[in-house]
Amino acid sequence: MSDHLTVDVVDTDVAFREALDESSQETRAGFLQKALVAGGVIAAGGVVLGGLPKLVTAAPSPSQDIQILNFALLLEYLEAEFYAEALRNGALSGETRSFAQVTGAHEQAHVAFLRKALGSRARSKPTFDFKDTTRDQAKFQATAVLLEDTGVAAYNGQAQNLTKKTLAAAATIVSVEGRHAAWIRDIIAQNPAPNAFDPLKTRAQIEAAVGQTGFIKAS
Amino acid sequence: MTEFTLEELDQDGAIQEAMDGVGGDSRAGFLKKTAVVGGGLVGGGALLGLLAEPAMAATKRDVAIANFALTLEYLEAEFYTEAVRMGALSGKTLNFARVVGAHERAHVAALRKMLGRAAVAKPRFNFRGTTEDEAAFQRTAITLEDTGVAAYKGQAPRIDTIAVLNAAIAIHTVEARHASWIRHIAGVSPAPAAFDQPKSMSQILAAVQGTRFLAAAPRVTTRKAPAFAG
Repeated sequence: MSDHLTVDVVDTDVAFREALDESSQETRAGFLQKALVAGGVIAAGGVVLGGLPKLVTAAPSPSQDIQILNFALLLEYLEAEFYAEALRNGALSGETRSFAQVTGAHEQAHVAFLRKALGSRARSKPTFDFKDTTRDQAKFQATAVLLEDTGVAAYNGQAQNLTKKTLAAAATIVSVEGRHAAWIRDIIAQNPAPNAFDPLKTRAQIEAAVGQTGFIKAS
Repeated sequence: MTEFTLEELDQDGAIQEAMDGVGGDSRAGFLKKTAVVGGGLVGGGALLGLLAEPAMAATKRDVAIANFALTLEYLEAEFYTEAVRMGALSGKTLNFARVVGAHERAHVAALRKMLGRAAVAKPRFNFRGTTEDEAAFQRTAITLEDTGVAAYKGQAPRIDTIAVLNAAIAIHTVEARHASWIRHIAGVSPAPAAFDQPKSMSQILAAVQGTRFLAAAPRVTTRKAPAFAG
């Protein structure tokens, strides 16, 4: 799997690389996929893929998990592409560059994980326009803080809407987003943990925040 | 690495044996209470009394999970409060301890409020010098915060009540921010893996026991009456 390769490539801390239980994560994605399929989502799949994003208010269900994971996948596509483009543009240096390398690999692993879990119901990657935020180190840093904080709030807000199995899987991702947010914040001398309790944001709030960036051109 | 020490302690079952073979001191009392809350080993009368009037409309399992979390938060809060008071920290590490200490105290207050009369009491701690040396403090803070992340992650899918779940969720990522922050200060990878793995309640309890931060009252090992020396 590409996610395992990228983790191996970027993680120079041998002890922690050894601590990463790759097989259990692999199993979790496959298990999650089975759970989603078993929940009867194949019939609903076309609606999910073709329909407009809906506000999630219903009780947790496998079909609702599909919608939420596709929402998460959109955010992960956005983050992964943002870091990849910034690195391609060669505008980053020093610790900001290593942050982008490590975090970019993580976001790619998240994309791969969600795509595997969603299987044929995974949404396609939209096209993005990051403007000059991937060409200027200061703008990159400010944008990375925004994207990572948004990712944390997005996953946190959906926890109550997920089935327990899917929540367990999403929880392995959200704290890594929190680590990314704190890391880039500390690099630019912003408070890495500005609140004792991280906010939980609704899907509508997240979509409004992402919409304001103008980064998503077409989905 | 400290984390590996904790893992080894968990894997060889030494801590579980220690927990099973508890005596009558205060540490044992804490362990017994935590074990009952955690795994339902025994339906102890004391615990049932604690559960009689929870402040929230939560399931018994939610109360147990919230008390498990409260115990970890007591530990973290006390660790940072003591470290700041000791005066051995400086610069970024001191600022970290002040900010994070305030967060952990806020977590304690929130969990205690949520639990009401069902809240467990604060145990006694002995941080064994880790609050008196900056390098030791950093290593310990990394262990405690990474452990906190794994603990909340392991419990979140087991929580029944939305209010309890959302409290745990809002704290979970703040612990991850703390972990990343102190790792960055200490020069260790802030985000060492693409996926953070959960740990079970028993794994976390073993890790906490491995720190030996839970203070034991003086005790003797024999149950026989003391012999007169002359």
